[in-house]
Amino acid sequence: MKRFPELKPNFWDVIVVLAVIALAALSAMTVWRGGTETGTLTAVVTADGQEIDRFAPADLLDAPRTYSYNGVTLTVAAEDGNGLRVSSSDCPTQDCVRTGTISRSGQSIVCLPARIVIQLIGGAADSSGVDIVIG
Amino acid sequence: MKRFSILILTLCLCLTGCGKQTTEATAQIFAMDTVMEVAAYGEHAEQAVKYTEKRIEELENRLSRTKAHSLVSGLNRDGSIRHLTYDYWNLIARAKEYRDATNGAFDITIAPVMDAWGFTGDSFRVPEQSELDTLLKKVNSDAIQMLGSPSDSVTLGEGQAIDLGGIAKGYTSDCVEAVFYDHEIENGKISLGGNVFVLGTKPDGSDWRVGIKDPRNESGLAAILSLRDAYAITSGGYERYFEENGKTYHHIIDPATGYPADSGLLSVTVVADANGPDQEWVLPGNGTMCDAFSTALFVMGEEQALDFWRNGGYDFDLVLVTEDGRVVITAGLADRFEEVKDSGYTYETVS
Amino acid sequence: MKLTTKQLTLCAVLTALALAFSYLENFFPLSLAIPIPGIKLGLANIVTVFALYALGPAQALLILTGRCLLGAVFAGNMNALIFSLLGGFSAMLVMILLSRSRHLSIYGVSIGGAAAHNCGQIAAACLTLGSMAPLYYLPILLGASLITGAVTGVAAACLFRALVHTNILR
Repeated sequence: MKRFPELKPNFWDVIVVLAVIALAALSAMTVWRGGTETGTLTAVVTADGQEIDRFAPADLLDAPRTYSYNGVTLTVAAEDGNGLRVSSSDCPTQDCVRTGTISRSGQSIVCLPARIVIQLIGGAADSSGVDIVIG
Repeated sequence: MKRFSILILTLCLCLTGCGKQTTEATAQIFAMDTVMEVAAYGEHAEQAVKYTEKRIEELENRLSRTKAHSLVSGLNRDGSIRHLTYDYWNLIARAKEYRDATNGAFDITIAPVMDAWGFTGDSFRVPEQSELDTLLKKVNSDAIQMLGSPSDSVTLGEGQAIDLGGIAKGYTSDCVEAVFYDHEIENGKISLGGNVFVLGTKPDGSDWRVGIKDPRNESGLAAILSLRDAYAITSGGYERYFEENGKTYHHIIDPATGYPADSGLLSVTVVADANGPDQEWVLPGNGTMCDAFSTALFVMGEEQALDFWRNGGYDFDLVLVTEDGRVVITAGLADRFEEVKDSGYTYETVS
Repeated sequence: MKLTTKQLTLCAVLTALALAFSYLENFFPLSLAIPIPGIKLGLANIVTVFALYALGPAQALLILTGRCLLGAVFAGNMNALIFSLLGGFSAMLVMILLSRSRHLSIYGVSIGGAAAHNCGQIAAACLTLGSMAPLYYLPILLGASLITGAVTGVAAACLFRALVHTNILR
């Protein structure tokens, strides 16, 4: 099986190089297409840590969604196409309403009295691409 | 050849034996008036996160002032407590130390003043000056007497009450770090409201990117830090406040005046290294320190805060967001820090 | 498989050399450009290319297996083993196939091998992270394999030129 190798590059080697380049280009087109390989922007609603709903923010344009937990009822409504906000809540603090609109992956609205968290995941990451927000 | 196969087989077995199966576990915990997010990566991630939840529940039950049976409630009711466990005795001792270090800008005996403003029970009001003057006389944790072993007692001064809200979350993050080490977690994070602890790097090997919220814009960021094995804790007046007669009153009370601190700062972020695996696991560490100092330096204002950073004798770094639109970063963070485009802030590094 | 003393010695020396290359790769902080821990340039492929021609596929495989296992023992983790096994064996497979073509020179064979090596490592990354995200770096790594493959080819060709008059290759 063993033999002495050809030590001078030739036409056939160029074909291998072209094949690798073609493969790279092909894979680039597949995985870099649109830059959103992680999927579309999705809102995930959890109550006390358990997921209770998952939807695309655009779905809210048809009708707002209402959630009740821990004795609190809050309504989530669409805002400027891709964004969403808690439009009303009967919680005493109103922090969730005051949080305003969220529209980018990683942002969230928290309603402590209701123990509900609405978080945006997936989609084109926020240009800042942070993992945790403090303050 | 047979021997070689046996050798390979043994090696494979050995490798699978010592090889670690990394799993991810996350949880969302509602405690201490905030929502906490914990994520852990490692062989025992699942147990680590479960244990973290238990530990946080236990800490809240001991440190909360709104729970009647908590240690703090008991101490405030009786004025003294004996045979305190080592961990909580040290926590109160540390709080006294930070009070002295910051010349009273951080003080756990601020509790009666917090009550007067209604920040304890969410029934906000602006107290009379005479009322504040009376209450302020009680604010001084130097009056707390502490005896070590064997009595392990804490005795408050006449009419005093304490509130550990300024360090409870920081101490909790210290405890979570210890839980992570106990469970051999390699990468992990916990965020408790304004407090963050990150262990190691992200699972992909890059730094954790921690965004500091823009105090002027709820959904924006003022700065981004790249951190590993670190605490980052923010205090800001925008976190909790109420309005009365067109004036805004926030929850960080200056122990010197009894009024919400008005120092020209919008938020203070204190960053320090992780305690490391050698830290005795129940003792307050850098998490507690960051929490106390973020409050204290917010009260002090930019000039005093930077002076304390230079000469205070503690090892930490700062990100200050000022009312006049500047973000001031201390030198230690210069290469771990990113500006946020279009945030409207000007950035300056000081040394 | 029966090995002569000369072959056995050569295998041992080449395994050691491959391990040295694996270690050397730690000094190229590739993780700065591609944040996936465990991905390597594939310098150790020089040994694979050389062994493939000088000793034949069977012994080349033996050397590769030894290198991967010992390398993982030194690195002390399972992930390193998955990366080097998947990378190494993909490269080996492709190079065995390519070297059967009488037309291709050693350069074409090692470039093909380098490309396969990097594909294998991406697969290993997907496997260990449990996510398809590492695929994002496939085009970059395929591009890089042109360079590493050429370097490997040049190095192996130099070896053969230097050794052609000795009895090692006989």
